[in-house]
Amino acid sequence: MQKYEKLDKIGEGTYGTVFKAKNRETLEIVALKRVRLDDDDEGVPSSALREICLLKELKHKNIVRLYDVLHSDKKLVLVFEHCDQDLKKYFDSLNGEIDPNVVKSFMYQLLRGLAFCHCHNVLHRDLKPQNLLINKNGELKLADFGLARAFGIPVKCYSAEVVTLWYRPPDVLFGAKLYTTSIDMWSAGCIFAELANAGRPLFPGSDVDDQLKRIFKLLGTPTDETWPNMTALPDYKPIPMYQPNMTLVQVVPKSTTKMRDLLQRLLVCNPSHRISAEQAMSHIYFADINLLPK
Amino acid sequence: MAGNFWQSSHYQQWILDKQDLVRERQLDLQILSEEEYQKICIFFSNFIQILGEQLKLKQQVIATATVYFKRFYARNSLKCIDPLLLSPTCVFLASKVEEFGVISNSRLITTCQTVLKNKLNYAYTQEFPYRTNHILECEFYLLENLDCCLIVFQPYRPLLQLVQDIGPHEDQLLALAWRVVNDSLRTDLSLLYPPYQIAIGCLQIACVMMQKDLKSWFAELNVDIDKIQEISRYIINLFELWKTYDEKKDIQGLLNKMPKYKLQPTR
Repeated sequence: MQKYEKLDKIGEGTYGTVFKAKNRETLEIVALKRVRLDDDDEGVPSSALREICLLKELKHKNIVRLYDVLHSDKKLVLVFEHCDQDLKKYFDSLNGEIDPNVVKSFMYQLLRGLAFCHCHNVLHRDLKPQNLLINKNGELKLADFGLARAFGIPVKCYSAEVVTLWYRPPDVLFGAKLYTTSIDMWSAGCIFAELANAGRPLFPGSDVDDQLKRIFKLLGTPTDETWPNMTALPDYKPIPMYQPNMTLVQVVPKSTTKMRDLLQRLLVCNPSHRISAEQAMSHIYFADINLLPK
Repeated sequence: MAGNFWQSSHYQQWILDKQDLVRERQLDLQILSEEEYQKICIFFSNFIQILGEQLKLKQQVIATATVYFKRFYARNSLKCIDPLLLSPTCVFLASKVEEFGVISNSRLITTCQTVLKNKLNYAYTQEFPYRTNHILECEFYLLENLDCCLIVFQPYRPLLQLVQDIGPHEDQLLALAWRVVNDSLRTDLSLLYPPYQIAIGCLQIACVMMQKDLKSWFAELNVDIDKIQEISRYIINLFELWKTYDEKKDIQGLLNKMPKYKLQPTR
């Protein structure tokens, strides 16, 4: 621990406090995540273990790097690459205007990070702007692989703050337990729309019911034909038959046709019809992608 | 996470060299012969297997726990941590990593107690001496020694694919080869060879046992056939050892001879 000089507190993560720190030798700035071990029975929390073991394997420019794990008297400290801000804070600084090239660049990097995860059979399962880190060079990195696990996504995180539903697909809201890569693609779609609207969330639901209604009001309530197995999902409850009464252009006013086409392929209620990250990257919207630092 | 083996920490950090392995064990091999060392490892692999079965864990979780155990002692002497403590700790850590959900510590310890009393009383006459705090402390130490490399690739998945490739009605072959893979956990194979090679080696042994001639199928596999022969040899050696070895009779003596950890557990 002497290797690092602790600077400011950055925030509260899923399982502990995050600090900004400086490596005393190299002067490199890092993020330190201290893992709380106060639960007497669980030992090292499984969320922390999950993050450690996945990030140990996933090394990619669009995934936050885990440099080191420090063990010091019954404490575990994870040393991460430091990024200046997350996408949520970036949105707050925008004043409602965003450069369309930035939208494209961020979205492309999000998909590229996801494609890498998915080809390693890793699902993120909790994508949201707070979990996407951005550095000064305009690079976007997926972070916080700790919250999600195979046995259902917890509804409350460590600080008892309710985990947001805004980026959850309808299948998960209906209690689907078998997750596939499609879960992340829905979230990516929500984030895409939010990017294009300079930070206005697409489906800011207040509870599961409200969340589903907001989704179906925009996209139309799925039918037996568009989504055959929907009614068999564990927490399925009938939702009024909404006809899509708004078009995407009303919801994302500054979007181009190509953008809306991609968005439409991501925001598909039936998970088996959602586009994959790999496919999305070769969508015509990205034909003129320019990843130069802004 | 069954992604890319060649980019994994398993391949990059944990496929060890036979010579290195022998060198790392020098301390223990001054006291124990290689065969005695292997017998002790077999005993604790069995302990992990029984624990896992009692806790109703999947074979994948049990196999991962066994590999953690092997990796730890590939870098440490047996006297560093009592294997009787490290075994349940490996099971505890593996069940969390493999997303089996957390086993409560009290249940883990109770299971250790009953297994020792009912199934392994030929080895240990006293009751299981460790408590929750020992497991948690040991978990920390284990994590550090594994260098946080927790994702382990196993031969089971490649084995399934290989058998599928042979043909549609090979259930018997699969069942036998699967058991040979389980047996392979009692050797150093998981430390020395990539899992798909182990799967091929085990499949070859199973074919020999069933007197099934698949020579032309094996010939078409694009693998280093020398490696497969080496793997087969490890397994045949294990079977040879089992023929003459009576664990019930010998293990107590071996455990007494085993290099001892410095600290006895506080009770």
